[in-house]
Amino acid sequence: MRLALATASFVILIVHGIIFYDQFFHEWESYQTSYYQQALSLAKTDAERAAVEGRSPKIEQIIVTSFGETRVDRCSTCHIGIDDPRFKDSGHPLRSHPFSEELGDKLVDGKWVRRHKFNDFGCTVCHDGQGRGLGGKYAHGQDHFWPDPLLGSKLIDWRADYKPKLVGKEYMQANCTLCHTEDGFGSTPLVAQGRRLFFGKNCYGCHKIDGLSNGALGPELSEVGKKFKIDYIWESIVDPRANSAASFMPKFNLTDDEVKALTIFLKSRRGMNFSETSLDRYKATLAKGEPGQALIHGGVLTSPPETGTPTAGVAYGERLVYDKSCMACHKLGKFDGGIAPDLSFEGLMRDEDWMMGHFRSPRSKISDSIMPAFGFTDNEYQAMTTYLASLKTPPLVTNPAEIYNSLCSRCHGEKGDGHGQIAVYLDPYPRDLTKVGFMNSKSLERFVTSIRNGVHGTSMPAWGKVLRDDQIHAVLDHIQTTFVKEPRRPIRERKLPEINPIASSSESVNRGEGLFLQRCTGCHGRKADGKGPNSLDMLPRPRNLRNRDFLNSVTDRRLFESLLYGVQGTAMPSWIDYGLTEKEIGDLVNYLRSFDKGHKQ
Amino acid sequence: MTMKKRNEAPAEQTEGQLTRRRLLTWLSSVGIFGSALISLVANAFFIKPRATYGQPNRFSIGKPEEFPAGTRQALDGQRVCVIREGERVCAISTTCTHLGCIVAPSETGFACPCHGSRFDQDGNVTGGPAPKALAWYKVSLAPNGELEIDKGVEVKSGTYFNV
Repeated sequence: MRLALATASFVILIVHGIIFYDQFFHEWESYQTSYYQQALSLAKTDAERAAVEGRSPKIEQIIVTSFGETRVDRCSTCHIGIDDPRFKDSGHPLRSHPFSEELGDKLVDGKWVRRHKFNDFGCTVCHDGQGRGLGGKYAHGQDHFWPDPLLGSKLIDWRADYKPKLVGKEYMQANCTLCHTEDGFGSTPLVAQGRRLFFGKNCYGCHKIDGLSNGALGPELSEVGKKFKIDYIWESIVDPRANSAASFMPKFNLTDDEVKALTIFLKSRRGMNFSETSLDRYKATLAKGEPGQALIHGGVLTSPPETGTPTAGVAYGERLVYDKSCMACHKLGKFDGGIAPDLSFEGLMRDEDWMMGHFRSPRSKISDSIMPAFGFTDNEYQAMTTYLASLKTPPLVTNPAEIYNSLCSRCHGEKGDGHGQIAVYLDPYPRDLTKVGFMNSKSLERFVTSIRNGVHGTSMPAWGKVLRDDQIHAVLDHIQTTFVKEPRRPIRERKLPEINPIASSSESVNRGEGLFLQRCTGCHGRKADGKGPNSLDMLPRPRNLRNRDFLNSVTDRRLFESLLYGVQGTAMPSWIDYGLTEKEIGDLVNYLRSFDKGHKQ
Repeated sequence: MTMKKRNEAPAEQTEGQLTRRRLLTWLSSVGIFGSALISLVANAFFIKPRATYGQPNRFSIGKPEEFPAGTRQALDGQRVCVIREGERVCAISTTCTHLGCIVAPSETGFACPCHGSRFDQDGNVTGGPAPKALAWYKVSLAPNGELEIDKGVEVKSGTYFNV
């Protein structure tokens, strides 16, 4: 018992001693003592000596209130020789801060004069790090949970393959931009390069940055520099799925230098800016109109064509298609982004009007397309359209299985189940060709038409010019034997009106709307956009009935058939079983048809 | 084992020698009272904070050339008045010694707007309720060539720094 007590009391003594020692003898004290000694020995005049004498080690701090929230920078507690030119060749931490023209320092009469005085600016506004910290690890922000580690420093637990690339004082350019926001600021060439890349590589199409772009597909990047460290930004650019498994951001083919410039540009996006107040910014936005619009229509986004290259025609269009990274998503020839449809036979599938309209606003042609409207100039759109329209070489495949695998399986899947490589990015989802109920309840003629003419308002293009009719039939036979695995059954003849017998009137539309709200919204949604509360549980998803191109392409007869007898192989029930009469179906059809009329008015 | 020890202990103690029990008692006391002592000393030191969030006491005000001869410039942020006469520079506090208002340089010296204290050019009281003269602070030349004022060090009235 006494032995235990004695041991415990000694342990307590030792712990107390360690804490006392730790709190009383600091690393920074030894740096300061060493500085004072060296400064005394370097002092040539009495005045210099007097300035140092009588000073004892203490915490030095600069309190800066001008840049955002108050900064307390105690960096000069260790880096005490920071503004003492005699220490310019000493080792760290006593070395004095270098002078450079890039920082705005000036050489006057052989002596450098600082542009950014430490008393006014502190340290962390440029360097980042934790200003209050007094020990190396914490002060340099190398604690895992500190959001702003010293920019360009190298002691962080970052991924080993990126670490060497994240070192270098050029990363501090990101912080210059917090005040020097002008586009052409000379001392931040990498920010400017990153900004050009942000537009050149079409990042703006998906990502929003306040005042620069309006993309809505990807995460907003207005404050990305405040939220993430540079290693995370770098990783997210080169390997989008590393941090978000659900990301479908394409991998862009960027060199390390380009990634570095983009990283620095993104790090400079902190959602704040010290050279103007939020009111200034608000007023500037008002004067400019919609931020992204102004940029797009001002033509800032597009660099002028290099001299000596054509500005129109197929060659220019081809260069644009490659320069603008279209193949980051689309497939064209041997390039395949794995996200968007194949463009290899675009000239055979779509006409130029369709392409121009689709470029200007993809959703005007395919209602639920995820393709961003990039806002290039009409001249560029025209050139790209000309190039794509020139792609008229049909594929060299003859046997039906090969045709299916090379042309259809990218969307409909190798197994025909609709889960092709790019299927998740398509809306409506590609048809599941293994559903016997669906495949055997529709006529062969309808399938042939869908393949030959495409399905309007969806990503299914018209294959009529790519495949001959006999090839289409052969592919359908292949699908029937390989995926449906049942012989085609004769279609049951049903009595259906060719044209809606109920005349369209406002009363009929109102009755139709009432019925729709009662019966259809669970799946098709109150807006009839196919996004009702149950929609996520079913595949194929409920049809987006606001898809004008699609709805205009289907006949009244088909709508009556789907509504009265349901769509086999999908969740759409036969409404005749639920007591809807043909007259009520007529009202519903009138209601659906009224969407387009409303649009035209 | 313990039983045996307990039985033996009184016998050894009577002989007045350094018994195991006594040694352990001593060691425990040293441990406990030693750590108590360290705590007391440490607490006494730690009562005063090492750094506070006010503006630092020592600050540089710029190159001597920015203060030509004859300057009397009050720096309101730092509450100090920089005076240069020829090649001599000094820094006088502008905090009134009465109730801490900021005194303003006037033709005759300094005047406090709150209760009418008057000071002469050197900060000595010439009138009003102020109990004592304004403080003079240490001025020195920092290695980067700028003048530095240390409000932590008061110097005797009339101590100038020669530029």
